[in-house]
Amino acid sequence: MPRGWPAEAAVIDPAVRQLWLYRALFVGLAAALMFAKLLPLGAAAGAWPGPDILLCVLFAWVMRRPDTLPVLLITAVILAEDLILMRPPGLWAAIVVVASEFLRSRVALTRELTFVVEWMLVAGLMLAMVLAYRLAHMIAFVGQPALGFQLIQTFWTILCYPAVVGALRLGLAFHKPAQGEIDSRGRRL
Amino acid sequence: VARPRTGPDEFSRPLRRVLVALLVLALVGLFLLWRIDSPRVERFRAGLVDAVVPNLDWALVPVTKAAAMIEDFQSYARIHEQNQELKRELQQMKAWKEAALQLEQQNARLLDLNQVRLDPRLTHVTGVVLADSGSPFRQSVLLNVGARDGLRDGWATMDGIGLVGRISGVGERTARVILVTDSTSRIPVTVQPSGQRALLSGDNSPLPPLEFVEDADEVRPGDRVVTSGDGGMFPAGLLVGQVALGTDRRLRVILAADYQRLEFLRVLRSHALDPITDTGGLIAPPLGPMPEARAEVDPGAAAGTSPAPAGGDVGEGGSGDAEGLASGGGGD
Repeated sequence: MPRGWPAEAAVIDPAVRQLWLYRALFVGLAAALMFAKLLPLGAAAGAWPGPDILLCVLFAWVMRRPDTLPVLLITAVILAEDLILMRPPGLWAAIVVVASEFLRSRVALTRELTFVVEWMLVAGLMLAMVLAYRLAHMIAFVGQPALGFQLIQTFWTILCYPAVVGALRLGLAFHKPAQGEIDSRGRRL
Repeated sequence: VARPRTGPDEFSRPLRRVLVALLVLALVGLFLLWRIDSPRVERFRAGLVDAVVPNLDWALVPVTKAAAMIEDFQSYARIHEQNQELKRELQQMKAWKEAALQLEQQNARLLDLNQVRLDPRLTHVTGVVLADSGSPFRQSVLLNVGARDGLRDGWATMDGIGLVGRISGVGERTARVILVTDSTSRIPVTVQPSGQRALLSGDNSPLPPLEFVEDADEVRPGDRVVTSGDGGMFPAGLLVGQVALGTDRRLRVILAADYQRLEFLRVLRSHALDPITDTGGLIAPPLGPMPEARAEVDPGAAAGTSPAPAGGDVGEGGSGDAEGLASGGGGD
């Protein structure tokens, strides 16, 4: 929950409304992506895994509008995904939360970066996440798919990142905060 | 209204960091709880899926049907070739049908002579595939039948032809089927006609390999693979598929079930499975209470641990079923 709302917010402040709109949009997007994955459309065994679009959306979002995406919302969405998509519950959610916090605390750094460098940063982060995920599986003696198979998914996800950033820019006019820009509550981004 | 540099943010930041650390710890704790006490968390998961996915039914079904229609439409393009092909196949099938009818009658007569009692409890519930596992690393589907239809964990699931998987995770309205191709699936099978026992172990590929074959030389590509009924998990004799030699020179199984289009699945009501209540003992030679008493104790204990010979249910007064089969076969 956002802290320190001004008392005037009882009459719905347009900035506050926009904040909740963004959050609802993120949840809706995550639900739609999960729905698409659940469709029983012949995901035969051995087929090549597709990209994890939700992860791209999440990273692009956190780097552009971190104020609209609280960590609890990220946790809830990824944990629900863990549970419904039959993954070990909590593990991927924990990794995603750590990764998003890593990006969030470096907003000041990433706003200086060109897109190519940002892309490389995201790619490195995604690879690190997969390796951490596999390491945790190994430590807990949980069976896991082949490394190459999982890396194909990561590779696709990395390739999809620019497209997702472009779509967010076109659809929601997301951009990295400029120097001196302030958020809906008047704090510096 | 920009706030000064030493706003509340500067103070809340360390607190926030602690809270995020606690959050991550809680998530890792959940993972550990799942690892240690999986059934409880899996029950929660089944309950959650049960609450969420059937509500998406109104959207899942039209989208799936639309995609199937597009696929069907594409196949219209090849309709003439298909027609020719089907006619040829039909010719062959007629010959097979004749052979099958004769064999069915013969089989019924033989069963009657042997007084074999067919298991009357082997009925089935048919369900519709609601959703996929949603992950390329997990092979499972969700059916729209569940505990309210009397489903239990461990029951075998087939499509019209072959074995598809087993029930694992039953909600009130839904049940999850772990497919034979999933990397956690292990199914005891028999290879016909040599009668070799083996374990069909899924590895997330379309052709799961056969493991622990007694004598691999006796198994040839093209042999039929059926469930063996070992371990009391599945009824014996359900068709699984055909042996093939993989490109990696391993014996693999071409599954008989049509995995491209899993739509209607039938769940076989198997016998009530014994619930697993304890952790099970060590598999070790039995120890006598005292060294001098060992001579008397050993034979009895050894007999207790040796596997009981698997025998069919043979009883009297079982000719009714066989006669029913014979008349059914003759009537067609």
